[in-house]
Amino acid sequence: MTLPIPSEKLAQTLKEQATLHARQGTFTSELLRNPGKFGLGQVPVALKPDATTTSVCGYCSTGCRLKIHLKDREAINLTPSVDYPVNLGMACPKGWEALAVLDSDERGTTPLLNGKTTDWNSALDSFCENFKGIQDKHGKDSVAFISTGQITVEDFFLLGSFAKFGMGIRHGDGNTRQCMATSVVAYKQSFGFDAPPYTYADFEESDTLVFIGANPAIAHPIMWQRVMRNRRDPHIVVIDPRCTETAQVATQHVPLTPKSDLALLYGLAHIIVRDGRVNEDYLDKTEGFEDFARFLDDYPPEKVAPICGQSIAELEALAHRVSEPGKRVSWWWTMGVNQSYEGVRTAQAIINLCLMTGNIGKPGTGANSITGQCNAMGSRLFSNTTNLLGGHDFGNPDHRAKVAGLLGIREDRIQEAPGYAYDQIIEAIDKGEIKGLWIIATNPNHSWIDQKNFARIREKLDFLVVQDIYVTTETSQMADLYLPAAGWGEKDGILINSERRLGIIRQVKKAPGQALTDYRIIQALADRWGGCEFIKKWPTPAEALTTIKALSKGQPCDISGIRDHNHLEQVGGIQWPAPETESPSLLEHPTERRLFEDGKFYTANQKAKFVFDHPSPLAEPTCEDYPLILLTGRGTSSQWHTQTRTGKSKILRKLYPQECYLEINPEDAAQLKIEDRQQVTISSRRGEIKAQAYYAPTVQKGQVFLPMHYKEINRLTHASFDPHSRQPNYKYCAVNVAK
Amino acid sequence: MSAAAPERTLIDELLADQKTLSTPVADFSEQHDREPDLAGHYRNLIPLSKPGPGEQYAFEVALDKCTSCKACVAACHSQNGLDEDESWRDVGLLLGGEDEPSWQQTITTACHHCADPECLNGCPVKAYEKSEENGIVRHLDDQCIGCSYCIFKCPFDVPKYSKKRGIVRKCDMCHDRLAEGEAPACVQACPTEAIKIVTVNVVEKSKLGKRDLGWLNGAPPAHITQPTTRYTGREVPITAQAADYQNLRPEHAHAPLVIMLVLTQVAVGLFLGSLRSGLPPLGLTLLTLGLFTIGLVSATLHLGQPLKAWRFFLGLRTSWLSRELLAFTILGGFLTVPLIHHLPFIPSSQLAPLVNFLSGKLFASFSALIALCAIFTSVKIYETTHRQLWKAAITFPRFFGTTAISTLLILSLFDPVWTPFFTLGILIKLGLDFLQLQGEKLKRERILITQILLPISLIRLVSALLAIGVVFLHPWVAFPFFLISEFAERTLYFKAVRPLKMPSFL
Repeated sequence: MTLPIPSEKLAQTLKEQATLHARQGTFTSELLRNPGKFGLGQVPVALKPDATTTSVCGYCSTGCRLKIHLKDREAINLTPSVDYPVNLGMACPKGWEALAVLDSDERGTTPLLNGKTTDWNSALDSFCENFKGIQDKHGKDSVAFISTGQITVEDFFLLGSFAKFGMGIRHGDGNTRQCMATSVVAYKQSFGFDAPPYTYADFEESDTLVFIGANPAIAHPIMWQRVMRNRRDPHIVVIDPRCTETAQVATQHVPLTPKSDLALLYGLAHIIVRDGRVNEDYLDKTEGFEDFARFLDDYPPEKVAPICGQSIAELEALAHRVSEPGKRVSWWWTMGVNQSYEGVRTAQAIINLCLMTGNIGKPGTGANSITGQCNAMGSRLFSNTTNLLGGHDFGNPDHRAKVAGLLGIREDRIQEAPGYAYDQIIEAIDKGEIKGLWIIATNPNHSWIDQKNFARIREKLDFLVVQDIYVTTETSQMADLYLPAAGWGEKDGILINSERRLGIIRQVKKAPGQALTDYRIIQALADRWGGCEFIKKWPTPAEALTTIKALSKGQPCDISGIRDHNHLEQVGGIQWPAPETESPSLLEHPTERRLFEDGKFYTANQKAKFVFDHPSPLAEPTCEDYPLILLTGRGTSSQWHTQTRTGKSKILRKLYPQECYLEINPEDAAQLKIEDRQQVTISSRRGEIKAQAYYAPTVQKGQVFLPMHYKEINRLTHASFDPHSRQPNYKYCAVNVAK
Repeated sequence: MSAAAPERTLIDELLADQKTLSTPVADFSEQHDREPDLAGHYRNLIPLSKPGPGEQYAFEVALDKCTSCKACVAACHSQNGLDEDESWRDVGLLLGGEDEPSWQQTITTACHHCADPECLNGCPVKAYEKSEENGIVRHLDDQCIGCSYCIFKCPFDVPKYSKKRGIVRKCDMCHDRLAEGEAPACVQACPTEAIKIVTVNVVEKSKLGKRDLGWLNGAPPAHITQPTTRYTGREVPITAQAADYQNLRPEHAHAPLVIMLVLTQVAVGLFLGSLRSGLPPLGLTLLTLGLFTIGLVSATLHLGQPLKAWRFFLGLRTSWLSRELLAFTILGGFLTVPLIHHLPFIPSSQLAPLVNFLSGKLFASFSALIALCAIFTSVKIYETTHRQLWKAAITFPRFFGTTAISTLLILSLFDPVWTPFFTLGILIKLGLDFLQLQGEKLKRERILITQILLPISLIRLVSALLAIGVVFLHPWVAFPFFLISEFAERTLYFKAVRPLKMPSFL
């Protein structure tokens, strides 16, 4: 008998309420899994794709590829790609949650002028009128831009071309200055070109891996996966003041005194020379060793050991470990080296060790800088800031002529020297020299060293434009004009990862509201600015790639052998160099590429250079009022930089503390009568912040650690810079901690 | 683009382009059924054969391989299509404690698919099933009434309440993936192969579990449920402690439960008190019934699926919650009996023997017994969760104390000689509240109650003292103060308790 119930749904509900023991029903069916096809195995029924595509992850420089699950052409889910040589089917939580952070009500959906919604036409007018007005009044150089390591190669190319050759801006830099500048300069001076020499397979091929100032277990988890796949029973050394996650799983931890790294590395080199462990054969491929060996006389272990907080025996053992004949030794560094007032020389001290032991250009070796952002490597070559497009020199007339020819612009539009670095732009704003600033995809009001200073100089700007995917970032909030950008997943283009691999990202979602890709925003701006006809040659990233390839031709970073975006997708990315002269079989089936296998470097005489300098005094030593050393760094694998994206995923938010916390050695804490989890005040000469104290035996006595992701911490940091790279020194300043 | 019609500007073109999804998708051939791309990777991370008799599937975590990347958490969320803040796997941190202060270890944890699952035992409606074939403990989402008792019962804080559905959900070990020879999402996603599925011998495991060996120092004890997860690869110091062990975040107040417990216990007290009078006044009977009903309604409404609550009797064999619901249902009937003295009509003489029986001593004693049994079931519900603050020595005096003091209040109504006993009762209960918090095991609870939850503690103290102060005016004047102090006491009982859980971060 059927009851006269009007609605089927109601009937179903009633049935479910009335069932004595319900093994099935509405809730159960929500979680059913079914074969998803596309090589995915089972997937949740509600998330079954009807197609897939791939896209390289847009967070860090590891460059994992993600398989994007599509339904009606839009992304509904993702899994890490299995057939990609970088990540082999794995991703860190940020990658898994890459799509989730795009659906946020904090996304910008229209341009905002003085905080009020406006349309694109008015926004473009405002951009042009204000910046032109400033330039007319104060000269072309009174407007500057600060970009990022997060946009695509094509975006960089168009931005750099428009800003410098269209708007006539001289001073532009990127947040990569906060991250990779040190490695850039170190490589350039030592190898003749900014060329990280390794391929990820080297993680698996090493006998001894030395991580210095790097915490890949949480900062680059998928690179660490490659280390874990090493089947050579490797000896893993971690040189870091803190007993980081990586140090805890390493074979050996060297808890050196902060900023004694340069002395330590010279000390190791001294012992290697003293004990006759130099690879004499390899020295033919280098120059300057004699001078270096003499310089090392000043760094006997007796002198170096106390500086580093190590014993002489420990130093000697380590020196022998990294110079063992027949063993493959690789050195890996990241922000612990780069973010220093003497980072360039420190990176070069690592390079020197590799050169003198012949640990370069062979599997499992190398002086290897692990990059930070997903396209920092693209920015280094194509952002047109420090380098002229394509890794060229502004100072070289031939380079200027080549670039002008390929772009179809007058040669005299290209400046003859690089513009200001990030910190110099800030300083020029302070001095009233720069009055207009355009910020693209970065958040200096959170991340810039001595942050209060940034907020202060903002008041001196006549016009600030911020282009970002979120309207709520600390920097978007202070803009005169905010331009809503489309993000990763909403655009096409190329990213270059840490091992020089070009991979592609794809548009798999519609951008919210009127948000546009950075590429399209720049096209629109150039159109409205006027006099930028040359920009019209590149209506889409595909056309831009043609010119980018031409620009790279003949450079160490030659990528003229790449056909197009689809080529990159089909072959699983291609590492530079990939010149068109390369054999077709290699371009169709690229293997891992390592630089300098032929022992030839990019310098004029093809020899690598030993570059060295005595360590400089500390930028801000501790004192009676500020007795503790403040270290900063990555908090967890689920946090990224200033958290503008990672803060939008509820899953990622579960995986890190919501409030700022201070790691302090329990003995120091006891002396200061600070209890575990107690609220404390941390002060430096620049300001003070509050945080929860967290007993961390992993931090040495006399030091404290703050994770960089919390907005307040750069109120404390001390603005000092490496003189060669202008990279800020985030890792050492003097603070006081009190209840 | 340059060929655009004059009225259509570049920006219109760009906005239109932005809305077009033209990404080339992977080859059509991709669509065909084929072995999952990761199959080669996880083949040796899942057992080759199904569990035999006495065996079951279990997670095995190699601590030395886990580096805190947390991909397992994100993958569980995304590969199981869970809510935006939901994942069935979690990570936490163990610290070495006194023996090895600098030791630390990330702990990844999901459901332990216990040999003797307390979620299952405690469930009033049999919404949990442990598979006989493979030992996976599954939650039947459509059977769940959303009482959340399993959340109290699980020593590892595994089941999680879904507010929007009104039910709990938890890890099912991706049972349908395993059935097809695929690895669970977390196993597939771990970059360092730290998580595996293994077959364990449940019989042996249960022996091990009883002694807490082979389990994880710093995690809740194994003897309660005999978790099957194995943590291997690194020795954990005996003094290890969860990083969040000393956290001072109060728990939820569970207001409906506070109301339910206090009002039912007070109602039982009033009822017991009124039994002594022989013929209780109508007002008192109605008040008793009223408070009792509010208590039960409050408890029922807090269920996520109140319409399914009729299934409660299914769990009688193992669940104290089932028993409580049964006891209170029966008790409800008994509480209405005194109304026979106040019927609006005169019962026919044939009913006189029944009326006499129902007003007799024997029946009164029986009602009292039922009422006390009902309170006893309430005590057992909390006492069996193994939470320190809810242990028998604390819960018994609290719950029965509320009833006893309520009884004394009614007695003093009939005979003022009882008033000092009422006063004494309040003082004793108050004293116990604080005296019972002594000792190292209850340190955190003590700090919470005396510092962080101080306002509630003060309400508790002041209203109890006020009740004593005014009871000599008239017992009913003291009643509201007494109620407030009990509500505050029970709120502290819920907010200050330390739940058993796996380690988490700060």
